[in-house]
Amino acid sequence: MKNKKAITFVVAILSAVFLLAGCGSDDDASGSSGDNKTVKFMHLWPEGSSKTHNEIVDEIIADFEAEHEGVEVELEVLSNEQYKDKIQVLSTSDELPDVGMTWAAGYLEPYVDGNKFAPLDDLIESDLKDEFVSGTAEAYAIDGSTYGLPLELNIATVFYNKAIFEEYGLEAPGTYEELQQVIETLNDNGVPPIALGNKDRWTGSLWYMYLADRIGGSDVLTNAINRSGSFEDPALVEAADKVQELVSADAFVKGFNGLADEEAKSMFMNEQAAMYLIATWDLPNYTTNEDVPQEFRDSVGYFNFPTVGGQGDMNSFVGGPGVGLFVAEDSEVKEEAKAFASFFVQQWGEKSVTQAGVIPATKLDAESLDLPQMYVDVLDDLNSASNLTLFADVQMSPDTAQVHLDMIQAIFGNEVTPEEFAKEHEDALSAEE
Amino acid sequence: MGRIGYFFLYICLGIVAVFQIFPIIWLFLFSLKDNREIFSGSPFALPTELRWDNYFKVWESGIGTYFWNSIWITGVAIILTILLASMATFAITRMQWKLNKLVLGLFMVGLMIPIHSAIIPLFSMFLDVNLIDNPWSIVITYTAYNLPITMMILLGFYYTLPREIEEAAIIDGCSVHRMFFRIILPMTMPVMSTTVIINMIYNWNEFVFVNTFISSDKFKTLTVGIQNFIGQYMTDWGAIGATLIISVLPIIIAFIFFSNKVVEGISASAVKG
Amino acid sequence: MGLNVMNKVMSNKWIIALYVLPALILIAILIFIPLLLTGYYGLMDWDGIGAMEFIGLENYITALQDLKFWESAWHSFLLAIFSTLSLILYLAISLILASKIKGADLLRKIYLIPMLLSSVAIAQLWIKVYNPSNGMLNHILMAIGIENPPAWLAEPSIVLYAIFIPILWQYAGFYILIYYAALKNIPESIIEAARIDGASPIQIAYRIKLPLIMGVVKVTVVLAIVGSLKYFDLIYVMTGGGPNGASEVMASYMYKLAFTSNDFGYGSAIGFLLLIITLIVTVIVRKVTATKEEIQY
Repeated sequence: MKNKKAITFVVAILSAVFLLAGCGSDDDASGSSGDNKTVKFMHLWPEGSSKTHNEIVDEIIADFEAEHEGVEVELEVLSNEQYKDKIQVLSTSDELPDVGMTWAAGYLEPYVDGNKFAPLDDLIESDLKDEFVSGTAEAYAIDGSTYGLPLELNIATVFYNKAIFEEYGLEAPGTYEELQQVIETLNDNGVPPIALGNKDRWTGSLWYMYLADRIGGSDVLTNAINRSGSFEDPALVEAADKVQELVSADAFVKGFNGLADEEAKSMFMNEQAAMYLIATWDLPNYTTNEDVPQEFRDSVGYFNFPTVGGQGDMNSFVGGPGVGLFVAEDSEVKEEAKAFASFFVQQWGEKSVTQAGVIPATKLDAESLDLPQMYVDVLDDLNSASNLTLFADVQMSPDTAQVHLDMIQAIFGNEVTPEEFAKEHEDALSAEE
Repeated sequence: MGRIGYFFLYICLGIVAVFQIFPIIWLFLFSLKDNREIFSGSPFALPTELRWDNYFKVWESGIGTYFWNSIWITGVAIILTILLASMATFAITRMQWKLNKLVLGLFMVGLMIPIHSAIIPLFSMFLDVNLIDNPWSIVITYTAYNLPITMMILLGFYYTLPREIEEAAIIDGCSVHRMFFRIILPMTMPVMSTTVIINMIYNWNEFVFVNTFISSDKFKTLTVGIQNFIGQYMTDWGAIGATLIISVLPIIIAFIFFSNKVVEGISASAVKG
Repeated sequence: MGLNVMNKVMSNKWIIALYVLPALILIAILIFIPLLLTGYYGLMDWDGIGAMEFIGLENYITALQDLKFWESAWHSFLLAIFSTLSLILYLAISLILASKIKGADLLRKIYLIPMLLSSVAIAQLWIKVYNPSNGMLNHILMAIGIENPPAWLAEPSIVLYAIFIPILWQYAGFYILIYYAALKNIPESIIEAARIDGASPIQIAYRIKLPLIMGVVKVTVVLAIVGSLKYFDLIYVMTGGGPNGASEVMASYMYKLAFTSNDFGYGSAIGFLLLIITLIVTVIVRKVTATKEEIQY
């Protein structure tokens, strides 16, 4: 009697848990139910932090739904880091959204190898023909097929505080030697020269990449990564040496290896440091962002990374496309998903630059738009760019990128010699071949 | 101890108290600043202008739904956890069977799993039973992952319960269930309140599981509200501060309530016992 | 006669099953299956995206020879040691709070406040404390005449200890809460009797209260060790394990491998090893601290 009661109780508890769990579970909304098709779209511009981006996306979706009867776009929005984690979890279970955001090259590769992303060559050759700035869509190509539609294009330049420079009679440096002079003068006057948040590591990588580019030419790093060259190339070692030279000249703010980029940025924006190397996604802060005092925005200028020892081309840039759109290979609504991705890219370009201050990867007619002067200058620079080297940690496979980023912290922290720095890279890269 | 001894004791206790209360005050000031002030000035500094619009921003972002979800998910998970943990602890510590140490060991192993290795297997399991994007997946996950620690805390108290009470109850013809629910559970009120507080803090602040298993806005919880202000290249820290203040208020109230229970329960059970 | 009934009732298999199984089944499904799967994924060459390939014990063997893994394990051990030592302080505070001094109730509530904050808030607070040029700590140090205070989170030799402090502080409330409840659970009559016998408050604490809550103390030691060995939150937010691995712990290393380096197979192997190491340490600690009988009163 009692035993029976006991069993019933256990069963009841468990079934209660699972019943409760089962009820209210929506049917899988993806795919086609009846006449309506639903395209799942995930992006990383939450309303709270990226209001304008978020609004543009909503506008585009509304327009798309209006044009495409019977297709509905279902949204999921996550913050950057959560987005990356979630995409990874989703891909283990083949549950990727129909359309989502991806990064170029190294990030993309495992997804392409695993057959998760659909090739988008047909879109690029038809709807989107000649839409992209050259070199951007190519960053999403693997073995001749393109798997992502780029949305942003960023180049890194050195932003500097003109007011501080003026106060100490300084001018934007054109050579490494002049940069050293500037650093010395600033240090003599107790102004921390360069804001750097190297906890995030890619920030220091920008410095290293530019030095390598100026010393060894625009190919040397790319060749080392794609294995047509070696990372123990003298130019790559010398670039590491120059990094340490800057560090020992106290070029960077105190404790940079423990600071986040955000903290470094705020030092620059609070006029606690005179220079800051960052990509053009920061432009709104120095032009249109009303939360930043006008006085500060007016005092910010930028210069291209200087030449080193008389070598290098100041029109060669480090940068590249940021996020792009992918379409999932096993999407049940692939045609609609592709149509949406293509529609999105076409709508995004002009809206993104005028409303959100993003430099899009699609070609722009800068003349016809009313843009702040700094945007016009940057777009000019982009037009006259002789070369664009993709961020090293994006070029490399995720594995090697970690080695690179750790080594960046080590070389900036004087924990390794330039030779060891180069060797660690070479070992990691050759292990992958 | 003499007067001087007490004086010094209070000085020390007071200093510690200042340290402990400071984070809340800091967080409140933080929530009224913008990014520039947050990063540059002294953290003690008063905001140059009180930016209440941080709170408006948060309110507009639809925090109400998140709030409600946080409350019911946290609450249901706590009730389930404490009920199941109390029952299991009771059987392990008070009843006589051979495998009790082994089973206890199993629960302890449950403490040791790092959550980041669990999320991918859990995701695919929930997917199989159609529990993805369903708040109950969160409830049962919280329950399971808090069971071991809750049991560990209960354990020490269950061991010290006087056996005479059980004997008396059984000899009086009381059933085990009646004894457990009517006598044992009330006696463990103080420690249950302790575990309620701990479970509450864990569930309320958790976000890895929510982010992974939930995709619809209507099921998300407050911690996800924070994510809303983290951008691709820029984060709105003032608004995050406001969200943190809004989300810590209910938990402070609940904490004060249950922390009184830690003491009250004892006097009550002392009278009965 | 009475005891016989008692034994019979209290060893009823059905009732035991009824009380234990719901909890056991829940953790079996939601914890043990993922745990075994972690061990299983550890046998695979898998980036978490494409196809899995079985490679036997290769990941585990690599891990055992992986210097970075052992370094992170050492950091986790250090954290476990410091967490355990810090329990003494928390115990002392709890003894004071639980004795009948004026204002104890209010103090206790205040002391537990930081515990209520989420890791996001705590990390932001301590990042601001440690900031090398604008931080509170260095402001204070410079005010008392220290010329060049260190950059706490950037110096490889300091960063680990600097980050332990907020971790230990974060959990202070948790342990004080447990100890406090345990101390309040001691029947007043026992303490009263000792007081009448002329024992001083310190003697009462050391001779009577402490032995009576020893069971609880042992549990907290296990919790502190297990919690430290798998600790992740503040490390990840405040330093990301850097600079160059100087503050890496096992869980952050595992996370990086699985989620950033796309080496999910290897990351899982590390996760599984983390579990095994924790298990071994726990068993040793239990053996060392075991007494013949749990004290009863």
